[in-house]
Amino acid sequence: MKSLRRFFKRLTNSILRRRHDERLREELAEHIALLTEENLCAGMSPGEARRQALLKLGGMARVEESYQSERGLLFLEATLQDIRFALRMLRKSPGFTAVAVLTLALGIGANTAFFSLLDALVLRNLPVPHPEELVRFGAHTPGDDYASVSLPMFQEIMRDQNVFSGAFAVEGGPVMNVETNGKLIRASVDSVTGSYYSVLGATPEIGRLLTPSDVDLNSAGPQQIAVLDYGFWQRQYSGAKDVLGKTLKIENVSFTIIGVTRKGFSGTNADEEDDIVVPLNAEPLIYGTTNPQISLQRRDVLWLDPVGRLKPGVTVDRARAQLDSLWPAIRQAVAPAQETRIARDTFDSLQFTLKSDATGGSYLRTRFANPVYVLLGISAVVLLLACVNLASLMLSRAAARNHEFGIRATLGASRSRLAQQLLVESIILSVGGTLAGFLLANWGSYGLVDFLFQHIGLYGYVGAKVLDLSPDVRVLGFTAGVAILTGVLFGLAPAWHATREDPNSALQQSSRTLGHGTGTLGKSLIVIQVALSIVLLAGAGLFIRTLENLRAAQPGFRIGGVLEVRLFPKPGAFKDANPLPYFHELTDRISHLPGVVSASFSHGDVGGGYHWPVKVRIHGVDNQFFSSELDRVMPGFFHTEGISLLQGRTFKWQDNTRTPHAVVVSENFVQEVFPHGNAIGEHIDISKDPRLQDLEIVGIVSNASLYDIRKPPEPTVYFDTLQYGMAAEFDTLLVRTDLPPSSMLVPLQRAANSLGRQYVASVDSLAKTVNDSILPERIIAMLSAFFGALALLIATIGLFGLMAYNVTRRTRELGIRFALGAQRSSVLRMILRETLMLTLIGIAIGLPCALAATRLITHMLFGVTPYDPVTLTAVALALLAAGALAGYIPARRAMRVDPMVALRHE
Amino acid sequence: MKQKADVLQGTLALMVLKTLAVLGPLHGYGIARRIEQISGDLLAVNQGTLYPVLLKLEHEGAIESNWGASENNRRARFYRLTRAGRKQLHAETCDWEQMAAIIGRFFDVKAEDLP
Repeated sequence: MKSLRRFFKRLTNSILRRRHDERLREELAEHIALLTEENLCAGMSPGEARRQALLKLGGMARVEESYQSERGLLFLEATLQDIRFALRMLRKSPGFTAVAVLTLALGIGANTAFFSLLDALVLRNLPVPHPEELVRFGAHTPGDDYASVSLPMFQEIMRDQNVFSGAFAVEGGPVMNVETNGKLIRASVDSVTGSYYSVLGATPEIGRLLTPSDVDLNSAGPQQIAVLDYGFWQRQYSGAKDVLGKTLKIENVSFTIIGVTRKGFSGTNADEEDDIVVPLNAEPLIYGTTNPQISLQRRDVLWLDPVGRLKPGVTVDRARAQLDSLWPAIRQAVAPAQETRIARDTFDSLQFTLKSDATGGSYLRTRFANPVYVLLGISAVVLLLACVNLASLMLSRAAARNHEFGIRATLGASRSRLAQQLLVESIILSVGGTLAGFLLANWGSYGLVDFLFQHIGLYGYVGAKVLDLSPDVRVLGFTAGVAILTGVLFGLAPAWHATREDPNSALQQSSRTLGHGTGTLGKSLIVIQVALSIVLLAGAGLFIRTLENLRAAQPGFRIGGVLEVRLFPKPGAFKDANPLPYFHELTDRISHLPGVVSASFSHGDVGGGYHWPVKVRIHGVDNQFFSSELDRVMPGFFHTEGISLLQGRTFKWQDNTRTPHAVVVSENFVQEVFPHGNAIGEHIDISKDPRLQDLEIVGIVSNASLYDIRKPPEPTVYFDTLQYGMAAEFDTLLVRTDLPPSSMLVPLQRAANSLGRQYVASVDSLAKTVNDSILPERIIAMLSAFFGALALLIATIGLFGLMAYNVTRRTRELGIRFALGAQRSSVLRMILRETLMLTLIGIAIGLPCALAATRLITHMLFGVTPYDPVTLTAVALALLAAGALAGYIPARRAMRVDPMVALRHE
Repeated sequence: MKQKADVLQGTLALMVLKTLAVLGPLHGYGIARRIEQISGDLLAVNQGTLYPVLLKLEHEGAIESNWGASENNRRARFYRLTRAGRKQLHAETCDWEQMAAIIGRFFDVKAEDLP
């Protein structure tokens, strides 16, 4: 209470700047007068009496000081004074201030931008109540961590467990034809079990959401109702309230809209909103199944993604332990009844898994989390470099103010007071840099995410992508922490230096004598800058070479001159008719368009990253499995894609569901599976899919890295979808032509429309798809090159600044040298030698650091080792050149020093 | 010669309060003089250090001050105890005595007294 009162008194005194000096002076004067009088009475001489009185009172300055500190809050006042002073000093050198703030803004901005990306991608929880209670669980085959369940399995798990307060299963968003207001669009459709919304704690924007009673999995007639996503509602219905009760058609099946979710709700997806949600048991209707129960109760296909909410107090580990112990019984209970033995083996090997789902699923995370970590690392090094650079600049400034500091120290300023003043100056700079950097970060992270979203369409469909980048507590805390840390980091060296200064020698040394300048500290800061630049440039160099190698990669299939035409089926187009004649006709028509060399359907994602790894065995040989890729194609594929036939034949239009099932395999598949014999005519089984058993190898083709141009070609089995009734799924028509996509669009549309079953959704070049598949490498190469160049610039400026400062400081010395007959070229050599020496030391320290750092990115490189000598040599040479340039300009100035002018100076 | 003792931290304030309680309103010089007398010149006090303490006590509300006339008829600042100051003095006196008693007891204990 007392101390609080005292604090407020002092605070108000400080703020109102109430002066008590007059009062103290008067009181002390009176005190001395009374003391003197007393001494006089004791018989002292007047002079002596006053002297004794003053002695008794003690040091006036100290009394005044402690009186002042009692009067107000000294620290506060001193800090305010320092801030005013620092602002004045910074205003006096606008060039320095601008460079400092800009450097910091770039450094802090980059760090904040990448951190907020990391936050949004990896750290941020789903925007639902208590996201930490959500867990993802299910069965997976050993070696593949993707977990899923069949509906009977889900129901069995739910019957036995007591760790969840609720759980639901989702069949995740296939893209379908949807008719809204008489308009046909593509939209993603989720089908869910009844507790989907209640477990996620969602509430409706309008209308109501699905409840367990809406999704009666045992009922024969499912409810045809749908809930819309907020964004979809806004886009398709302009947010009209009267959508409730309206119907929309999914693949020609009617659904009644019952409600809309709130803005920002994205289910268990962190970065993508599904447009429409329907009851799980209504989904078979969309596929035209007459008896939904048959497809719902299938036991051999794990098609659902289950998510549970843990009961309060149940940990993830406990839930996993409990369900793990129940797992063998559950698996036994829901095993498929009639299956081949191979399939039964696979089913019995299924393992149970359960992990936290607090952050939800994210496609962006799987592709871009690693690049973002790398970029965050790069930007941290850039910021460190910026700090070191500013430290050396501040050091030069502090050295120039040595005299001033000397005077202040002599007048009684304490060392901590001097250090505080310099620290305040650097913190002001870092706060300025942070504010600018924060704006930059905001712009940068949104820009980058927009860029990503533009380039990651999937099968031509770009869903409603959302990524919450708004700064949260974590991001703000990170930025504030970085700002303070940088301010202290680059302010510390000069502050430490200034307080070590002996005021006596600082006062004696005028600009006439030779100061010791920034000394070893300044030089070591330069060396650090060079070393850090080496690290950044080496990383940038490796990433650029990686990108170059990827661009020049020969993946074994044709990329240039191929168009990728995405075709979508019109509603009901493939319900029952045999599609072979249609695809034959369409391929023929398009192959004969002007400018087209050939055309073929493919169902994979050529160049795009999605693949289908399978286990293959020789038919009749149990217990020996080979890993292989499976690719779905139609006749003409190998010709169009430039994959050459080595032996046998490729697929023909005469192959159909009734002819023997044929496969074509790649050369490396044959080498692995049939090392000693002729593969043609052999029979193989693929996985447990009953449709893919006893297939005859009819041809062998050359190797190709069809899905990922980074990877060496995998053994591959190709089959003709027309033989298996698997056509009309994810159809992509590959068209070999030298014409650009824009001029092919109309003829292609006309050809597709003339047959009436499919329509053209998009036409792109295959080169674009491949280019987008290396998006992470492109972004890293681009940004690391930018930051590498920035690092080189910063280091060069630092080196230049130090040398220029040294030359100025040594003007007099140089004048004397010239007057005594020194050769100008020897001075040039001397300064260049010093610069290059510093650069070389920096390189010598930086190279091992770079090697250590680049080892961390080995897995992100392509066709280049982390200790690539070409890159490292180029980087070292670049820095040497920069060093020579930074030394040459001040050296030239030194050479031109006029001895007369230099000696007369001052 | 006996060494002069340093003034214990905080005790100066207590002395000021007690002085004002006994003698009524006084100026700085008077307070200093009184403390010197009572301590028998054994305490080394730079009399100037008194003034920051007076200001502190005033900020805390234990004393208040006004201008008045000194013995030689010049302007001097007189300090007086407030009600809060009187309470504070009482409390601190009790604390002090208790502390002194405890220390005293420690000194009284002999080895044979221990069980």
